[in-house]
Amino acid sequence: MTGFILRRVLSMAVTFIVVSIVIFLMMHAIPGGPFDGYDMPLPDNIKARLMAQLGLDKPLWEQYLRYMWGVAHFDFGVPYQSPGETVMGLIAHAWLPSFTLGGLGILIGAPIGILLGMAAALRRNSFIDYLASGVATLGLTIPVFIISTGLILVFAVWLHWTPASGWGEPKRWILPILAYAAVPLATYARYARSTMLDVLNKPFVTVLRAKGLSERRIIFQHVLRNAAIPMVTIFPAMFVGIATGSIFVEAMFRVPGLGAYFVSSINKRDYPLEMALMLLISALYSISYLVAEILYAVLNPRIRIEGSGR
Amino acid sequence: MTTPALELRQITKRFGNHAAVDRVDLVVPHNSVVALVGESGSGKTTTGLLALRLVHATSGQILLDGKDISNLSQKELKPHRRQMQVVFQDSYASLDPMMTLGEIVAEPLGIHGIGSAAERRDQARSWLERVGLDGGYANRYPHELSGGQRQRVSVARALILGASMLVADEPTSALDVSVKAQIVNLLQDLQTSMGLSMLFISHDLSVVRSLADEVVVMLRGRIVERAPTDQIFADARHPYTQSLLDAVPVIDPKARRRRTFLSADEITARTPRFHPRELDTQPLLDTAEPQLVALAGSHFVEAIVTERATP
Repeated sequence: MTGFILRRVLSMAVTFIVVSIVIFLMMHAIPGGPFDGYDMPLPDNIKARLMAQLGLDKPLWEQYLRYMWGVAHFDFGVPYQSPGETVMGLIAHAWLPSFTLGGLGILIGAPIGILLGMAAALRRNSFIDYLASGVATLGLTIPVFIISTGLILVFAVWLHWTPASGWGEPKRWILPILAYAAVPLATYARYARSTMLDVLNKPFVTVLRAKGLSERRIIFQHVLRNAAIPMVTIFPAMFVGIATGSIFVEAMFRVPGLGAYFVSSINKRDYPLEMALMLLISALYSISYLVAEILYAVLNPRIRIEGSGR
Repeated sequence: MTTPALELRQITKRFGNHAAVDRVDLVVPHNSVVALVGESGSGKTTTGLLALRLVHATSGQILLDGKDISNLSQKELKPHRRQMQVVFQDSYASLDPMMTLGEIVAEPLGIHGIGSAAERRDQARSWLERVGLDGGYANRYPHELSGGQRQRVSVARALILGASMLVADEPTSALDVSVKAQIVNLLQDLQTSMGLSMLFISHDLSVVRSLADEVVVMLRGRIVERAPTDQIFADARHPYTQSLLDAVPVIDPKARRRRTFLSADEITARTPRFHPRELDTQPLLDTAEPQLVALAGSHFVEAIVTERATP
């Protein structure tokens, strides 16, 4: 198992470096630079001096190496659009709303989705099954900005139960979290239903019935245990969506999270911030997949066997 | 006549308008093997599930050792379930992949509250050995075994409660030829040593021939022919049975045989016709529908009985 994790971490590091090169090149492939977008263009000599100051006059490979050298020392530079703080500092204060929003959205959406999907699988072709399918289909197909608009309209405009937007006090969290919860809820409703049905249709379940084991025990002692593996293993991947998935929700509800910076850093060619955000996403991806693989290995005897004896 | 181990009387299962199993009568006497053969979709698997009360019959009776179990609740049924067990075709999906083989084989004992945990473990081990697996396999997981070994585990699990009646639904169909022979031998040994009765569902006539005492042929939910095994292979009377026998692959390429593949219409057209004088029992006369009639030597075939001359 240790060897397995070490191998994965190593390959993760390689992936991370490859990704950083690709992102760096793509970022610089976008025409224009950080000082081109003003209404009153800067004189060329001043622009050249600023570029030299930031090291942007150096060849790309050197800029990349300098940047990565900084990253290795946890120095992600200074955002051009907010020179008063560091990239780390900016992410540190902007990420809390994003992760609160995403984290609570998942923690609320996933369990409801799982219960709904399980109920649907156990009562096939019943009302609850159709409800689950409907919720899953709508949750995955309706864009989040439509869901958000609907929530604002119903709960803020018509019912006056909640404020329409903003963050701050927890009352304002409700609508964005609900909007965010739609995707994990829908994903899990579908996934839980299909994995449960998959296990329920296995002959070993039929054998257990033939043995006289009660339906309740069959579900709790056998079906859930088997269905849990695929359900647990997609859970970490849900968190990847926090960084990217909340962009729209944050924009709709004006949550001061990371979302806005994704857009502005690209528009303003804010290279250090853009790079840091992209690296954050790829780190989230790598880590969540690593966690998923470890969970899978721990839970599934079929994988557990290799490398660790029994 | 002694009470049979399992008897199905006019058992019927409808899914909507379609009768998957249509008024089937089936008797498995004690200590004997009855093979249920037919193509996929003929209703043979459903018949097995009906016998096990895993699918609820639309109508008809199921008698297990003379006791009518067709209307018992699942709870009332539980003690009777010890007598009748099942082995399925898919050896891997038949075993819970999260459990060790020892746990899998011991579980039925736990379900019926038999013995302490330690006793159950010991019994599971001895059953694993009895089906030809070393006791060390008790700590292994299903995926570590071959298909043949997994099927042995399924057999051990089926028999650990001391079942007297085994429904085996295509237990050898997914196995290699050599492994298949081993499993057939195992079933045969256990059948003789335990005095087991078996409903052996299969489309593999070579296996059926070596294992079964009687062969029952199903077609579209109906029994079309039923006879002692030798009789079926020597003198099949129904056109469908004949076509099944013709379809058995023969190793010797020089053995040239006439192969017939019959469509549903052809089978209907060739359904045997008898004059009542030819039959031992007195059947209903002149029904348009074919009926199961008795010939000499416990041989039954679906036929049309008519006093008119054969067209």
